[in-house]
Amino acid sequence: MSHESAVAIQPWVLPVKPLAELDDAALVRVAARGSREAFDVIVERHRRPVYQVCYRFVNNHEDASDLAQDAFVRAWKGLKNFKGQSALSTWLYRIAVNVCLNRVSVKAPITEPIESTEHFEDVRIEGAQQAMLREERAAAVRTAIAALPEKQRATLILRTYHELSHQEIADILGSSVGAVKANFFHALNNLKKILGTKP
Amino acid sequence: MTHLTSDELIDAMEAEAGQSKSPGVLEAERMTHLSSCPACQAQLTELAAVLNDAKESGVVEPSPLFWNHFSQRVSAAIDAEPAGLAPWLRWQVLVPLGAVAMLIVALVVSVPQREQPAGQEQEAIVSAASSEQPSDEWGVFAELVGELDLETASAAGVIEPGAADLAVLHLTAEERQELTRLLQAELTRVKS
Repeated sequence: MSHESAVAIQPWVLPVKPLAELDDAALVRVAARGSREAFDVIVERHRRPVYQVCYRFVNNHEDASDLAQDAFVRAWKGLKNFKGQSALSTWLYRIAVNVCLNRVSVKAPITEPIESTEHFEDVRIEGAQQAMLREERAAAVRTAIAALPEKQRATLILRTYHELSHQEIADILGSSVGAVKANFFHALNNLKKILGTKP
Repeated sequence: MTHLTSDELIDAMEAEAGQSKSPGVLEAERMTHLSSCPACQAQLTELAAVLNDAKESGVVEPSPLFWNHFSQRVSAAIDAEPAGLAPWLRWQVLVPLGAVAMLIVALVVSVPQREQPAGQEQEAIVSAASSEQPSDEWGVFAELVGELDLETASAAGVIEPGAADLAVLHLTAEERQELTRLLQAELTRVKS
């Protein structure tokens, strides 16, 4: 998808810039005025981490791509309400987590079987057997994460893989920093229990 | 001294792991306890090990071709969303429009009253309220605005002088057409 069309945010101050060169805040301003091209750039920039949040939640590609798509549609509809209180990525995570929580609460996660998972690491560097064991372990961890209670899962995902602060996670989940830390603690403990029962 | 709480264990674990974003800070007194308490140390080690396991489990990456397909899906889903209100249905347009419509109704209601003999006036109002209007509230409203004309409303500060004219002047062709339709419908309804 090409984003060569140029938009001047403040033509009397700034030179005309291609959309792809604008920062997130400028892109949001342009997109909020109805520019689909600007929103396409936002999608292109943030689709991978948003997809990853969803994937960690449900542990399967089909649902994760549906959830990520839903998150971006909601973001488009709610763009005018985004006032830049947080980073765009944090706002998108918030939407993705809410979409996941809503969906997960009505539908039990379907996790991909360990055998079907693919890996793209260079197996020439390490022995094939070692790589396979590592991937099996990783798949077991992903399955265990997807089995955690919702808030523990959201906390673990946002803190461990997306490095959001406790406060940002508390804002997203509508809870306190203390509750976030407690959720994180219980998530790790539950993960340990689940993984401890695996061979 | 009591063992570390869950919050404190998380703070200690993140401090040890060198968490890059807003790591927790453990008080010096609690750090002293941790360094001399095997139970807390064991718990901390276990937590750190699980966290490490979690960090090493990457997401199964979709095919590189997936991303363009994904962007197209998002775009198609947005296109399929029902459109919002028409741009001219904004409150900045609807409020003056509503004010104009109310004034027209007020004027139309007041004209026949002036032409009728005094004895029939009350009867006409009662008759209109009971037979033609859908509710008692409408009857009260009709009575309240019955004597209100444009000048009186302006003098009372209900509308700013010239606001209605200004609103009409700013309407687009489409908006004027809709206003005409509304007014005609209102006139037909009142006359019938």
